[in-house]
Amino acid sequence: MMTGVPLSWYLILSVVLFSLGVAGFLFRRNIITIFMSIELMLNAVNLSFVSFSYELKSVNGHLYTLFVMVVAAAEAAVGLAIILTVFKNRGTLNVDELNSLKN
Amino acid sequence: MDQHLLSIILFTPLAGLAVLLFIPGSSKNVIRIWANVVAFAGFLVSLPLATRFDKGASGFQFVERAEWIPSLGVQYLIGVDGISMLLIMLTTVFGFIAALSSWNAVEERVKEYYAMFMLLQTGMIGVFLALDFFLFYVFWELVLVPMYFIIGVWGGPRKLYAAIKFFLYTLAGSVLMLLGILALYFQYHAQFGAYTFEIANLMKVVLEPGMERWVFWAFFVGFAIKVPMFPFHTWLPDAHVEAPTAGSVILAAVLLKMGTYGFLRFSLPLLPRASNDVEIVRILAILSIVGIIYGALVCLMQKDWKKLIAYSSVSHLGFCTLGIFALNPNGIAGSVLQQINHGISTGMLFLVIGVMYERRHTREISEYGGIAHVMPKYAIVFAIAMLSSAGLPLLNGFVGEFTILQGAFEANRVWAAFAVSGVILGAAYLLWLYQRVMLGQVTNGKNLRLPDLSAREMAVFLPLIAWALWIGVYPKPYFDILEKPVQQLVERVKPGYYQGQAALKAGVR
Amino acid sequence: MSVDDAIRFLPELILILAATLIMVCDPLTSTHRKSTLAVLAFVALLAALAATAYSSTDPGKAFFGMIVVDGFATFFRAIVIVVGLLTVLSSNRFLEREGANSGEFYALLLFSISGQSMMAASNELIILFIGLEISSIASYVMAGFLRDDSRANESALKYFLLGSFASAFLLYGIALVYGVTGATNLSDIGSRMQPDSLLGGVAAALMFVGFGFKISGAPFQMWAPDVYQGAPTPVTAFLSAGPKAAAFAVFVRVFTVAFGNIGDRWEPLIWISALLSMTIGNFAALGQTNVKRMLAYSSIAHAGYVLVAITARSESGVAAVMFYLGAYALMNVGAFTVVGHISRKGERYLRVEDLSGLGVRQPLTAAMFSIFLLSFIGVPLTAGFFGKFYIFKAALQSDLIWLTVLGLLNSAVAAYYYLRVLVVMYMQEPGEAVNEVEPLSPALRLSLICSAAGTLILGIFPSGALHFAVKSAVLK
Repeated sequence: MMTGVPLSWYLILSVVLFSLGVAGFLFRRNIITIFMSIELMLNAVNLSFVSFSYELKSVNGHLYTLFVMVVAAAEAAVGLAIILTVFKNRGTLNVDELNSLKN
Repeated sequence: MDQHLLSIILFTPLAGLAVLLFIPGSSKNVIRIWANVVAFAGFLVSLPLATRFDKGASGFQFVERAEWIPSLGVQYLIGVDGISMLLIMLTTVFGFIAALSSWNAVEERVKEYYAMFMLLQTGMIGVFLALDFFLFYVFWELVLVPMYFIIGVWGGPRKLYAAIKFFLYTLAGSVLMLLGILALYFQYHAQFGAYTFEIANLMKVVLEPGMERWVFWAFFVGFAIKVPMFPFHTWLPDAHVEAPTAGSVILAAVLLKMGTYGFLRFSLPLLPRASNDVEIVRILAILSIVGIIYGALVCLMQKDWKKLIAYSSVSHLGFCTLGIFALNPNGIAGSVLQQINHGISTGMLFLVIGVMYERRHTREISEYGGIAHVMPKYAIVFAIAMLSSAGLPLLNGFVGEFTILQGAFEANRVWAAFAVSGVILGAAYLLWLYQRVMLGQVTNGKNLRLPDLSAREMAVFLPLIAWALWIGVYPKPYFDILEKPVQQLVERVKPGYYQGQAALKAGVR
Repeated sequence: MSVDDAIRFLPELILILAATLIMVCDPLTSTHRKSTLAVLAFVALLAALAATAYSSTDPGKAFFGMIVVDGFATFFRAIVIVVGLLTVLSSNRFLEREGANSGEFYALLLFSISGQSMMAASNELIILFIGLEISSIASYVMAGFLRDDSRANESALKYFLLGSFASAFLLYGIALVYGVTGATNLSDIGSRMQPDSLLGGVAAALMFVGFGFKISGAPFQMWAPDVYQGAPTPVTAFLSAGPKAAAFAVFVRVFTVAFGNIGDRWEPLIWISALLSMTIGNFAALGQTNVKRMLAYSSIAHAGYVLVAITARSESGVAAVMFYLGAYALMNVGAFTVVGHISRKGERYLRVEDLSGLGVRQPLTAAMFSIFLLSFIGVPLTAGFFGKFYIFKAALQSDLIWLTVLGLLNSAVAAYYYLRVLVVMYMQEPGEAVNEVEPLSPALRLSLICSAAGTLILGIFPSGALHFAVKSAVLK
């Protein structure tokens, strides 16, 4: 099924997705979007894992993907809770307005 | 007890401190009495050092050795030779004088004040005792902390600035020194395959000349800031002026000597070739002479009495470093003796200022005049201190300065000529100071009813005056004590010096 | 799972079980009796410490080489657990004061420590990642534990976002390593990594980004001041000591064991990061007026010193990292504990000036704070001195002369801002903040005395710890 699609294509796609995630993290101002960018980065990594796993004919990469998904889910739960309390206290989801901490 | 004599001297103040912690802070007089007892005990336990010291023996005496951090090659290794013995006596004497003189001067946080002095005392004694470079560094840095607090808590109006400046200057210098220490340490390991900080071992290291010069400058920064040599002296006037009287006394009498002692104990023996390098010696001699003359000129312009004495330290210590880098027996022996002398005379001068400051709370010279009429005893004490500092024959300062000048003359006549001008300027600013403060008519009404020296104050001055006279009239014991270590130093830096001198004499005959 | 496996994983097991137990007990405990749960957490930590000691008597690998119990692991396990003990002692009173004492906090703390302990012992990248996430996710919540405090919210949010961002980089690095070598076990990676592998270098760089964030090393340090300032002070104390030490532990282990033979490639990166961290940290700290923020910058600088030791790439460098982090954990937790004590309800008093006159009002607190500050400066006879000495010694041994010179000068600059705190404590009149400060509670006093005594003991008799560090610095 995957014959004909070389490993490097998957890796390039993974790099592109990861870079999109980094760019989103750096340039978007909405906290939810930023958070989704991080999820995008994690999934880009998952793609790498799976493709490496396929290439190396070892099942470990698949397992790692599952671990990463679990961790990402836990992170999402905690992260959304934190975002929620921030919204409750501040009434905004724009990171530029969260600047009360300074000298 | 001989084999633990040095440890006893070293830890007596610390033991006193341990007891002090259990005295409640509110019973101030108990604390004062205890502090004086401890300080006097510190002096008493150091007396056997002077009496049992063997002048004829070369090398270190009363050596104690124990492992401290074996994996790093750090030892608790202490011992004395003639140079350090004299400096330790100076330290213990001034420890007592400082404690006695602070009786009335300090009213707030008395307990912490004396605690800091006891810690300081242990640190200073440790610096002079340590024969392990690491141990030396530990004590060297440790001294900073109590002195920082003494200046910063009990000091004058600009105390914060002065305290921080003092700390940062010295710290910056000592981290560079640490670099030099580590360089030697690694070189020793490279050449002998073991790690050690013991000075006697490190002396075996042969560095390549370029490296040796780098290490020399690294040490130089550390020591020169402490001395302080021109142009690293700017922390000194601030620290002196803002420190409480006893702090200034200790600072001038003992703390500055840590720098000159560093040159003698480490720079010269460990880096003999760099220390004898023509270029380096010239630079150091020029810096010393600039210090002598610049310090004296600044003194002439001071309106603040204490600042004047502070700058006079820069000038006097210029003599000490000049003597060291004359690199001959007269220069070095004179330098050590002058270090003691400077301790006695400048210590006295700061005490003199302190006495007056307690009465009038000002140090402006123009506020005074004609004090001799009101306080005759004080006038005599001040006169002796001033003359001893100015180098009047029959007082201690003369002996030291004269010997240093002899050494400088032997090394380079031009240096001696410049240094002599420093002596003359020194007499000028001191006499002028005395004239403005003590002589003439009382012009300021506030000075009319000043009480003369109390018995306690006289007790502070008398031993110092006696000591000054002793050195001035009969300095031979001191030169005897210094002969061996100085000889070793000169032989180390200028191998064959004594043979050359002997040959020269024979040739003249 | 064999018995050996279980014993080598015992500290983590104890912590996780205790945390779960606390979660279960929490709803059953009435509000004013939450301190019992703190006691429970304390006992669990003591048990974990004992288990750490016990498991170290029989070193070796567990779970197919995924976990390794060696001196290095034991040392860091001990550090994070001791940090946990000190945190429990100092946070109980704090949380009562802020009206937020609950079992949840202690459960999170234990989870976080179990993650860190796992990191210390991990010998495999995925275990490492999971340990890191357990530690991080729990600490994100702890940073925002005071739910109604908007500073804490902000701190938690920033910590969370940047922490996950860093994790993603780390994970990408792991994926690349896996692709290049087909292994995730550190020893296997080490033997399979080709010295000229390009992707291997990229993987090391990506993982360095991830670790750089976790240890707050420059140029990835920007989150630290905000997070440390906004988090509740005992949490800040914990964050700046525990997770940091654990992150350094895995950093060192991964870069020595797995990336040892591409060392020439990553050394320049760390060299620069070390210098930047020291310089940025120290110079930024000079201008801070908020104590927590100042200590945050100082912790960036201290991360820089540790990076110097890592740059040395030698066994004595590793030993220096271990000793320094041990010393640093003690003094840092101590310093933040004092700050938390002075700040009072709602953390109102956090400026440097608010400490003025502490030396008069509470001599004991001030004296102990002074010990920590002097140790930060690196004055002899404190742990900080030997830590720095050992680091710079290791650096010189590896011929990092310029880095050493710059590091030493940096440490002289740093003295200035620590001294400023000493100045206000001892040389200024007591202000409003200090005048009404409550006396030290017994737990706080115990916590402070332990950290101060530790700082002094490591400073006066460093031999034992140094010996252990040197012996354990051989990573395979």
